[in-house]
Amino acid sequence: MIMWFAGLILLIVKLAVVLGFLLFLAAYLVWVERKFLARLQIRYGPNRAGRYGLLQPIADTVKMLTKEDTIPDGADKGLFCLAPAVVAMTAMLMFAVVPFGPELSVFGRKVPLVITDLNIGLLFVFALSSLGVYGVALGGWASNSKYSLLGGIRGAAQMISYELALGLSLVPIVMLARSFSVVDIVQAQERYPFILVQPVAFVIFMISAMAESKRIPFDLPEAENELVAGFHTEYSGIRFGLFFLGEYVHMQVLGALVAVLFLGGWRGPFLPPPVWLFIKIILVVLFMIWTRGTLPRLRYDQLMTLGWKMLIPLALLNIVVTGAVVLF
Amino acid sequence: MKSLVEAAKALAEGFATTFNHLFRRPVTEEYPEVHRVLPARTRARIVLTLDPDGEERCVACYLCSAVCPVSCISMQSAEKEDGRRYASWFRINFARCIYCGLCEEACPTSAIQLTPYFETCERDILRLVYEKEDLLVQHQGKDKEYNFYKVAGVVTRLAGKGEHAREEKPVNVKTNLP
Amino acid sequence: MPRLIIDEREIEVPPGTKVIDAAERLGILIPRFCYHEGLGAVGACRMCAVQFVEGPVKGLQMSCMVDAQDGMVVSTSHEEAVEFRRFIIECLMLNHPHDCPVCDEGGQCLLQDETVSGGHGLRRYQGKKRTYRDQYLGELIAHEMNRCIHCYRCSRFYQEFSGYRDLGPLQIANRVFYGRFKDGPLESPFSGNLVDICPTGVYTDKPSRYKARRWDLQRTPSVCIHCSLGCNTVANARYREVVRVEARFSGEVNGHFICDRGRFGFPYTNLPGRPRTARTAGGECSQGEAVAAAAEKLREISSTFGPQAVACFGSSRNSLETQCMLKRICRLQGWQVPGFFVDPALERRVRAAVSLLDASAGVSMREVERADCVVAAGVDPVNEAPMLALAMRQAFRRGAEILVADPRPIFLPFPFIHVPVSMERMDSFLEGLARLAGESSDGTGVREADLLSQIVQNGGLASSDLPLPVSFCRALFGSQNPVVLCGTECVRESTLPAAAALARDLRKGRDRAGLLYVLPGANAFGAGLLNSQGHPGFSRLLESVESGSVRALIVTESDPLNDFCHRDRLLGTLGKLDLLVVMDFLDSETARMAHVFLPTTTHFESGSCFVNHEGRLQYAEAVHHGGIPIEQAGGGSHPPRVYRGDIPGEGPKAAWVILAELGRTLGIPDRDLLGLGPWSLIGEEIPSLKRLEGTVFPPEGIRILSDGDPVQWVQGPEARDGEDDRGAVPPGDFFEILLTHWTFGTEELSSRSGPLQKVEKEPYGMMHSDDARVLGFSEGDRIVLSLEGGQIRFRLSVADRMGRGVLVLPRHRKLAWRNIPEMPCFVPRDRIRREDS
Ligand code: SF4
Ligand code: SF4
Ligand code: SF4
Ligand code: SF4
Ligand code: FES
Repeated sequence: MIMWFAGLILLIVKLAVVLGFLLFLAAYLVWVERKFLARLQIRYGPNRAGRYGLLQPIADTVKMLTKEDTIPDGADKGLFCLAPAVVAMTAMLMFAVVPFGPELSVFGRKVPLVITDLNIGLLFVFALSSLGVYGVALGGWASNSKYSLLGGIRGAAQMISYELALGLSLVPIVMLARSFSVVDIVQAQERYPFILVQPVAFVIFMISAMAESKRIPFDLPEAENELVAGFHTEYSGIRFGLFFLGEYVHMQVLGALVAVLFLGGWRGPFLPPPVWLFIKIILVVLFMIWTRGTLPRLRYDQLMTLGWKMLIPLALLNIVVTGAVVLF
Repeated sequence: MKSLVEAAKALAEGFATTFNHLFRRPVTEEYPEVHRVLPARTRARIVLTLDPDGEERCVACYLCSAVCPVSCISMQSAEKEDGRRYASWFRINFARCIYCGLCEEACPTSAIQLTPYFETCERDILRLVYEKEDLLVQHQGKDKEYNFYKVAGVVTRLAGKGEHAREEKPVNVKTNLP
Repeated sequence: MPRLIIDEREIEVPPGTKVIDAAERLGILIPRFCYHEGLGAVGACRMCAVQFVEGPVKGLQMSCMVDAQDGMVVSTSHEEAVEFRRFIIECLMLNHPHDCPVCDEGGQCLLQDETVSGGHGLRRYQGKKRTYRDQYLGELIAHEMNRCIHCYRCSRFYQEFSGYRDLGPLQIANRVFYGRFKDGPLESPFSGNLVDICPTGVYTDKPSRYKARRWDLQRTPSVCIHCSLGCNTVANARYREVVRVEARFSGEVNGHFICDRGRFGFPYTNLPGRPRTARTAGGECSQGEAVAAAAEKLREISSTFGPQAVACFGSSRNSLETQCMLKRICRLQGWQVPGFFVDPALERRVRAAVSLLDASAGVSMREVERADCVVAAGVDPVNEAPMLALAMRQAFRRGAEILVADPRPIFLPFPFIHVPVSMERMDSFLEGLARLAGESSDGTGVREADLLSQIVQNGGLASSDLPLPVSFCRALFGSQNPVVLCGTECVRESTLPAAAALARDLRKGRDRAGLLYVLPGANAFGAGLLNSQGHPGFSRLLESVESGSVRALIVTESDPLNDFCHRDRLLGTLGKLDLLVVMDFLDSETARMAHVFLPTTTHFESGSCFVNHEGRLQYAEAVHHGGIPIEQAGGGSHPPRVYRGDIPGEGPKAAWVILAELGRTLGIPDRDLLGLGPWSLIGEEIPSLKRLEGTVFPPEGIRILSDGDPVQWVQGPEARDGEDDRGAVPPGDFFEILLTHWTFGTEELSSRSGPLQKVEKEPYGMMHSDDARVLGFSEGDRIVLSLEGGQIRFRLSVADRMGRGVLVLPRHRKLAWRNIPEMPCFVPRDRIRREDS
């Protein structure tokens, strides 16, 4: 009984730490993104709220909390309110299976530095990321606005196209690690990170992951200059904030997944494991921002061509090749 | 294969370019610390100018209010004793103006002109409604020459029939001499 | 019917149609300046050139000068035609001044349109421009001759169409000038049409000078309510103010034009003194409070003295809705039947006119234009119904003979036969004519001279009223389509049936013979329809008030103090009322006496129906929402800088809506009032109009006279109330006073118009020169007329062509005609004297 309670408390502590860290990081990722993007474009970025604009996330949060929350006439109220929560929640839940360190001993008790080590962790991640798109599609539909609806539909179509490539690109990893558990996959990279043996999978995964997170160059669902703001056109205030939060948490999760699946996760010399993980996440995220600062948005047909005609066949080929190598 | 290499090269170039930007000085000018001198034809706060004789140029022809895409100009035309048509009141609602400059383009007398001065914000929106007193300035703006009533052909103190530019003397309707 | 092809589209048109009109039917508007449907073609401007590709005519021709013929193939966009028109417009623009920004025509200018459509974008001519000196043409029309393109439209309208001669072309060649010989006000009461008709800005509307551009105006089809003709107009409003009224084409009513009374008579709706808040004894209050106060008092009065102690009074300027609502409330509440005229005899005359008209006899103004012989009895068209004079002139231009029988001096803009029959003898004169017509139809071949003498005997005409030209009798004999016009304002009651009888007799042996009554007021016809029986007549009403049996009077959009003769008596009588409720949009004297006053909207602010003289129900749409004009709200400067959710001065409502509110407050369920909707309301009160329910108004209105059986608008026997008709002339030496209308200055609404006040004449009285000589008066003398009610002073004008024994006085506000105790009024000669004697 006591053990059970201790376990519960431990879980809550872990949850609190991870969640707190995620949210804090999400807020500052916004700052990082704006700053970094600004420099890529030879600008300053936010520099009025606090030194280097460091208080900007706080100001933004306050603003979003205090803004009027409007629900358009004719919107489907229930779905309209639910959609942002779906987006934010699925993004955060995905982090549950990401290990941020080796097992620790606390008071003689083994504490895994992961919230839960599911043996099908990878599938869980896929499941959630597919659920995430419901937020987009439903939000678009519930707004009762043509822009939102178009944005939502694009989101759904994009998700279907890239989910496949995403999944297929990881099959070789699973084959190498012989497990769906993310903890095991990190274990399997004890000697070398998988990026070295699976560069093709890495590239496919990177591209698909960016598409999943609906960021430039894959931001068709929001495409400002065509759809006003796409699926979240009608959102304001903190509901809009939740969509925002979802996007940035999603970025971290993807960063974490890339780190865990290809870059050896928390492994690294000298520094404590969570710090390594953090560094790797940040590097991936910075790369995503850099991409955003460099590439223009794809056209819809280009998006589809890339997904169906290049990434998926490539991923299949990769599986065959990896299979062959593993077999022989 | 070749195109693949090319694509990769192009991508790399793009990424390199943006990466190089990281090490350049930002070009941003930090308003309000830095005030840039704007070109004379910048389109901002609107004024009503005077003609070279120092009289109001605007003849209240309603063309600017007609062309204004946001309908923010309103006025009432009236006649002065000497025959000049003028605006008895003239109002621009700057809370609505989009500074498109169409009014200036439509104006047949060079009366209404946009100026580079743009710092007109107010907390009380009603103070953004400018009346004629607020709009009138004591100069000719960008067009120093034009004087509508010197060419218009209508009788004012400035010129009678046949006294405007390029006009013949009025026809004498009571003579049959050629 | 000729079939032709214009721009690859085929069309069939009636013979005689010009190619330019045929194209217009296809929706192809060929550029034009001089051609105007109302004025015809002259081919002066050369702007309408098109290419005739195939058919009887070939080559480049003016489309306004060529009749459509079978087999024609016309191209409006042929290279040659386009080039020609481009050249013409450039030539026309050579001398055009550079003043569009200060020209009121700008924005509605045909010249601007054709310059653009002709592709003349930049002026290449660098030489000097021809200029003209402008003229002062009075207070209604501004003149700016530089803008002229010499299309001759103005002179064709002014001289040919309307028959006035003081404006026209002068000079030759490149110096042709349009104007008057000398500066001075235009004489024609139709001069405002110059503004509409001039394709450039030479003539512009002076009262609305610089007020607005066409594109800023709220424009809506409206109807003129300044006389019974009901000409079609376009009302133009801007900034909560009606700024201009223009003519609207109506094939049946006014054609393309209107008179100046109709064009410039509207400012009563903008007057600064127009009442916009309700008042009770306790001062200004809200509309609802005033209605409640009136209702309370009405309830009190009808419970103490019975519902018959409440009387209502409307007018002939009420909309049909108002008249019906008034009637309805009176019926539902058991109040006295409402009246609409202060003169009981006039009321009966209108009633008679309405019941005598039927679809087979009643004619529109268009049909007057087509008449080939016109007999007008007791009507002075230019003064009573100006556009009728233009319709008669068109008949004259087509060759009709025109005879006017009226003791008043009559001016018409064309030659006509004036027989100054006295009102007394008018009936027998008409009977004589009727007999003449009758004789002609049975073909017994009576000699004209005999007939003539018969007329003279029957008509009891003085020998000086002759000769009645034989030519006219012959014309009447031979006419195919004669029309009888008859006034109601001054004639005897029996003249109306006499005119109808003449029309009926003329119809024997002919296809058609028209009958047209000129009625007193825009909706006098409506009043006549409703005013069937039971109304005691205004004099009786006054007696009832004086005796105390009527305690409350509700007056809707009517000013008895303005219309009634005996002013002092009326003032006293109104003062005796326990309750005087007045609803009006005018700041009238009656309104100022009211215990409860309720402001109403004008027909510019709430759409309403009016029935014109020929029984044409026309709808005037609301042009704006009402409220204090912005110019007044801003005191001439910019509008006030305030936020508010309402429109200042938007309190007034349509009179019938207020009446309905009053009825509701008195306990009538709403479904019997406003709940009915206008059509049902009208149908309930005028059963013969029930068939119109749900009708969508056609642009030309609905002629409510039904075909065939003469409709019994007026049910039951005539309710004679013992009041005498205009009595026989008393024995002895008496003058009959005829109170008449003038084109400007006497009609209730337009006489409040500032611009028209500037053009109206100083009032004067008129008598025959023989009478004047006998009395020792001469032209211009100041005359005093002493009556029981007081004195009337006026200047005298003498005339030869008018009846003897009549003194004609205008109902002008500057003339104390309200001292006349009663109409008809006969004054002994010794009561008329020169002032200085
Ligand atoms: S600048 Fe454009 S929006 Fe502003 S007043 Fe002129 S026309 Fe209107
Ligand atoms: S266009 Fe020019 S002249 Fe005309 S009203 Fe406007 S400012 Fe005045
Ligand atoms: S004044 Fe007007 S209507 Fe008359 S000729 Fe000239 S342009 Fe034509
Ligand atoms: S003729 Fe009568 S109805 Fe016609 S415009 Fe003149 S006043 Fe109005
Ligand atoms: S319209 Fe035909 S010539 Fe003027």
